[in-house]
Amino acid sequence: MKTDSKTIIGVFGSEDSLMDALCRLMAENLEPTEIYTPYPIHEAMRVLKRRSKISWAAWFYGFFGGIAVLSFLYYTAVIDWPLIYGGKPFNAFPSFITVTLVLIILIVTIFTLLTFSVRSKIYPFKKALILDERVTDDKFIIVFDADKFDRDQLFTSLREASAEEIIEK
Amino acid sequence: MSYATEIRGPLVLGNKKLSQVSDDIVAPIGKPPGIWWYIAMFVASLMLVYGAYALYITLTVGIGSWNVNNQVAWGWDIINFVWWIGIGHAGTAFSIFLLLLRQTWRTSINRAAEAMTVAAVICAALFPLIHMGRPWLFYFIAPYPNTRGPLWVNYNSPLFWDFMAISAYLLISASFWYLGMIPDFATIRDKTASKVKKMVYGVLSFGWTGSSREWIRYEGTGFVLGGIAAVLVVSVHSIVSTDFASSVVPGWHTTLFPPYFVVGAIFSGFAMVMTLMILIRKMYKFQDYVTNSHLDAIARILVFVSLIMGTAYLTEIFVAWYSGNQYELFLIFENRITGKYAYEFWAMFICNALIPQLFWSKKIRRNLTVALIISLFINLGMWYERFNIIVTSLSRSYLPSMWADYSPSHIEVGLFLGTIGLFSTAILLFFRYVPMIAIHEVKSVLKHYEREHGMGEPKSDTP
Repeated sequence: MKTDSKTIIGVFGSEDSLMDALCRLMAENLEPTEIYTPYPIHEAMRVLKRRSKISWAAWFYGFFGGIAVLSFLYYTAVIDWPLIYGGKPFNAFPSFITVTLVLIILIVTIFTLLTFSVRSKIYPFKKALILDERVTDDKFIIVFDADKFDRDQLFTSLREASAEEIIEK
Repeated sequence: MSYATEIRGPLVLGNKKLSQVSDDIVAPIGKPPGIWWYIAMFVASLMLVYGAYALYITLTVGIGSWNVNNQVAWGWDIINFVWWIGIGHAGTAFSIFLLLLRQTWRTSINRAAEAMTVAAVICAALFPLIHMGRPWLFYFIAPYPNTRGPLWVNYNSPLFWDFMAISAYLLISASFWYLGMIPDFATIRDKTASKVKKMVYGVLSFGWTGSSREWIRYEGTGFVLGGIAAVLVVSVHSIVSTDFASSVVPGWHTTLFPPYFVVGAIFSGFAMVMTLMILIRKMYKFQDYVTNSHLDAIARILVFVSLIMGTAYLTEIFVAWYSGNQYELFLIFENRITGKYAYEFWAMFICNALIPQLFWSKKIRRNLTVALIISLFINLGMWYERFNIIVTSLSRSYLPSMWADYSPSHIEVGLFLGTIGLFSTAILLFFRYVPMIAIHEVKSVLKHYEREHGMGEPKSDTP
């Protein structure tokens, strides 16, 4: 992410050269602010200790969504306006399961997408903070906050890590 | 972790560089399409116009403009609904089942299958809507506080489940499709020189940058949506089948229906994907991405599912005989296998259970013209299957006094052609403005084959 302070960017031409560089830089305690890649690289996420709790959030939405749906069905079918359909009890639980399942799926989808949008700050009309336009095509970049590291050491390390280009912004 | 086998060759041919993948897939977007595109669009528009006219008559005159009657109250409308929703299962089957099973060969095909799903589900949703007779009151089926009591809907009814399931399915498949396109829209945004395109795809890409934090949440969201949509895809068509199975109509009242419908849906969906992928590959020269191996894999799935379909048909016949129920016996042996609608039964059986068996031959699997024809036969056969289920059962009910024949009016035919026009128009626009192949997913598997087989890096991809 671009900040007010200067950033130093190492550009790499392939996944393998990015991974080699990333491991080498991490070993030198040069932890980047962020990396940008044209496709997800799981190994890099492991090295950078990136974690996502989105599946836990989804479980949470599903669990409480399910309780909400069943409560709604119970309230409307048993308390508010009970009607007998085909001799079934008012609380015809087995035939509530299907619609509960479908609504849980709907709730999980909507809230998971919203969570993704909020956490990743991905939403309509957002202006992208592009550091290098080539990252969505064929380049892999490692971004450092220039204020946190010694500039010369960073340049030397990036060069040693076979960066194709080093850019200061 | 990915699963790779020796029988599946490289997923992308031509030793592509990453930027070549972007260029190849983005190239057709914005370029003037070939003459075939305009011809196809013209034909699709004609069908769409006929469909719009049929829709106008349906809305202004009413269901009386159709040939459905008291006995055969479900005609082409519900046949078409089930047919389209079946085709709409392809995207989910491809994107989600194969995603969860870590099948990397899905990457060249999933995007087109997802687009097809969205278009097909929209076509499907139209039919129950207009079948209501007063579609402007469709919201009565949603449980909301109203001034009629409030009188809540019947939660025990499969028709209500159907409404909820299809609405949820449409929303999820459209979200899943769009989510997949966000990074690709960003690729177009960053590659294009046109200011207009940069702005349009900039808006569509939602500010995507490709950072590791975005990717990890993106993949997590994809897996959550995939995991729950896999449950939904099974439940949608099971629910459609309970529209039939919970009745007491001979031929419908059977426990075989839910799995039979789900498998049938996946069958027709895969057949439509094959039709579409062969055309895309040919028209856009995507042979390096949609390889023979991809189409071979679809053909193998089709031959396997066709065997399940054949088994289901034979099971229906066996159960009718074994039950000894005179109405079931009459239906199967005197009204389907023989009788007025025998043609439709045999068309279904031959198209779905016998013709796809040709895919056992490698030569046929590799002959794309024959494969295209077989996939069209399957689509036709699956339409006949729905005709067979709906019309034969309803036209010969328990008493001869309840018997009635059915053939569609030109309005019903118009509605069907209209949805084909709508589907084709949507797909043609998709070809024109949206990346047909998932760019970032293809890039991620570019080196997969070489890695799995220890062949080293492709030379062109090393800096």
